[in-house]
Amino acid sequence: MVATGVATSLTLALALAACAPADDEGTGESGGTPEAGDITLWLAGADTNDDLRKYLVDTFAEENPGSTLTIEEQDWTDLVTKLTTALPDAANTPDVVEIGNTQAPTFTYAGAFREISPELYDELGGDKLLQSFVDAGSIDETKYALPYYYGSRYMFYRKDIWQKAGLEVPKTLEEFGDSVKELTSKKQSGFAMGGQDWRNGISWVFANDGELAVKDGDQWTSTLSDPNTVKGLEQWQDVFENASNLPATAKDEAYWDFINDGTDGGAPEGATIMAPGWARWSIGDLTKGDDGKEVRDGMADDKKFDIFALPGVDGGVAPVFAGGSNVAVSAKSQHPELAENLLRIIYSDEYQTMLAKAGLGPANTDFNKLMTVDADGNPDKFGEVAVATAEASKLTPAAPGWAAVEGASVYEELFQKIAEGGDVTALAKQYDEKLTPMLNGQAG
Amino acid sequence: MTIATPASTIAIRRRRQPATPYLLLLPAVLILLVGLGYPVYWQVVTSLQEYGMMQQFGAPPTFAGLDNYARIFSDERLLPVVTRSLIFCLVNAFLTVAIGLGLALLMKAVHGAVRITMQVVLLLAWATPLVAAVTVFRWLFDYRAGVVNWLLVQIGLDQYQGYAWLAQPLTFFVVATLVIVWMSVPFVAMSLYAGLTQVSEEVLEAARLDGASPAQILRHILLPLVRPVLAIVLLLQIIWDLRVFAQIRLLQDAGAPISETNLLGNFIYELGIGSQDFSGAAAVSIFVLLLTVLLAAPYVRSLMKEDAA
Repeated sequence: MVATGVATSLTLALALAACAPADDEGTGESGGTPEAGDITLWLAGADTNDDLRKYLVDTFAEENPGSTLTIEEQDWTDLVTKLTTALPDAANTPDVVEIGNTQAPTFTYAGAFREISPELYDELGGDKLLQSFVDAGSIDETKYALPYYYGSRYMFYRKDIWQKAGLEVPKTLEEFGDSVKELTSKKQSGFAMGGQDWRNGISWVFANDGELAVKDGDQWTSTLSDPNTVKGLEQWQDVFENASNLPATAKDEAYWDFINDGTDGGAPEGATIMAPGWARWSIGDLTKGDDGKEVRDGMADDKKFDIFALPGVDGGVAPVFAGGSNVAVSAKSQHPELAENLLRIIYSDEYQTMLAKAGLGPANTDFNKLMTVDADGNPDKFGEVAVATAEASKLTPAAPGWAAVEGASVYEELFQKIAEGGDVTALAKQYDEKLTPMLNGQAG
Repeated sequence: MTIATPASTIAIRRRRQPATPYLLLLPAVLILLVGLGYPVYWQVVTSLQEYGMMQQFGAPPTFAGLDNYARIFSDERLLPVVTRSLIFCLVNAFLTVAIGLGLALLMKAVHGAVRITMQVVLLLAWATPLVAAVTVFRWLFDYRAGVVNWLLVQIGLDQYQGYAWLAQPLTFFVVATLVIVWMSVPFVAMSLYAGLTQVSEEVLEAARLDGASPAQILRHILLPLVRPVLAIVLLLQIIWDLRVFAQIRLLQDAGAPISETNLLGNFIYELGIGSQDFSGAAAVSIFVLLLTVLLAAPYVRSLMKEDAA
């Protein structure tokens, strides 16, 4: 009993001693080979597939003898919570973290990440890195979080249904609205979309040259009342009310279910959906996979399923919401040099190539072209549309309070009220007043 | 004589003032101080500071006095949330206890095999993990594939085709009440049944011989005798239903008007975890603590009186 007591307090003392210096380690640079250690990488969701993970772990062990990399997967839904509690704690912080691009500004401003020196930034790709994502993780010229991968949304549609109605792929946003309205009946949504789904809805705002918020000096102002934004919101309201049978409160639905055939080959509930590129693998006819389980064939029947990029107001491609994530080194990491070595592997040509081949938009834009061809070097329509929409895509405002806005579901609520048929101008004014202080990181 | 003896022993012990009782109390007090005292202390301190994301990452917090409380009480979101929570809590607590009492009486009245089946079913409902239970209810009330809508359409109510139960606050709370009552009734029913088994058969037989109707027996004999149990399960239900959080949150995830369905727990979560306004969240938590004490105080007092009697 006494012995255990002593042992426990010894361990405690050692643990405390081990933690102490980490606090003021800060940006101290030390030359030579970093001390061997074990570092942890937090990845969000399952988007980084097993091959990519294995490559990171193996390469890291190879290049850093004696050190190991552990990858832990976090859920997107409670990522912000976990980062908020783990990052400030030197004893428990992951060394490198993946974070949603829209969540990156909040943590960057809070001082959660270690600065990426200009030399390292250039070494990792510099100006070739996707700049809108770099901006999301920077304060002025200082970089903290870099792009990891991007993905953007495009339209998946039932070609057979559209053709039967005599409709072509729309050239303008207005034509898109008219077509999906025409395809709508009581049993079929021309465009299956939930009312709270603002991440899809803001494409209509961006396409009309509207902005959610702008920065003037160091103050952010919510600009929902801007005439262009209002125009976009009203256009989206019209499409939702007349082309979607989904509830105004629906969000993050499994939209692919709507354009797949119903059970026993019944008619689908929707003719068109908007989703990230990976939704492809949940769409198509049922077939047997390698393991004998039923899977979707990934839209093999191109007379039945096809894709197009959401068209802009005057043709071309509409700017859609740029999804994706950033990576950063924790400011409290106890092995910052090893963490930076991991970044070197992530931004290596090999890994960027692997990302592009896996259908994830690579951080280094030089590798975009790899996405537009398939394994045999033939043009790949999915990759082409992905790159076209990504090039036109747009990020949400990189305001310090953005994560708080998302955390309080403010846009979900606004879009729901618009979807319910509310007066857009009045709602825009009301939510501008609510959002401006939140965007600037002022509580409540 | 029998009453006087314990009183005199206590009096003797008091004079000696031995250390043993205090030593025996010490572990419990320590656990309470560490497990409850420290979080409450931290909560109070945080509620008096300006504490947000910057402070979480090392910036020194500044003392803000009662600013957070002033800010929270002038927040237009607080009053609707408090009203909603109180109504929801009371409705659910009384509903749960009423249904629980009904089931307990039924269990007492039915044949042994039926009673055991009922007990097993109740225990199974109680043992169902929260997330699983809410998921099942979400599926039952799903607007597209839910069994409830299908049944309503089958009996000719066509307006329920694709009806979104969670989309309006009122129907949202109907579903939430169903989940919560379903999950808490077993505990109440079992506790009350245990209380009812203690009522001696002679008393009931005497009442029946005197010509008391079942309703009179319930009102004048059974209820007064199980009153202590009834009071404590009602108190527990009120406390539990006031701090309900996960069920609401999980239902909101299925697509609901969030700010119109937030209860106190969800409001605190939204402030603290969602918006990183830790000091505001702490201030609301302290307020909820006081509210709970206020709601529970009359019950605790009457319980203590009964104990003393």
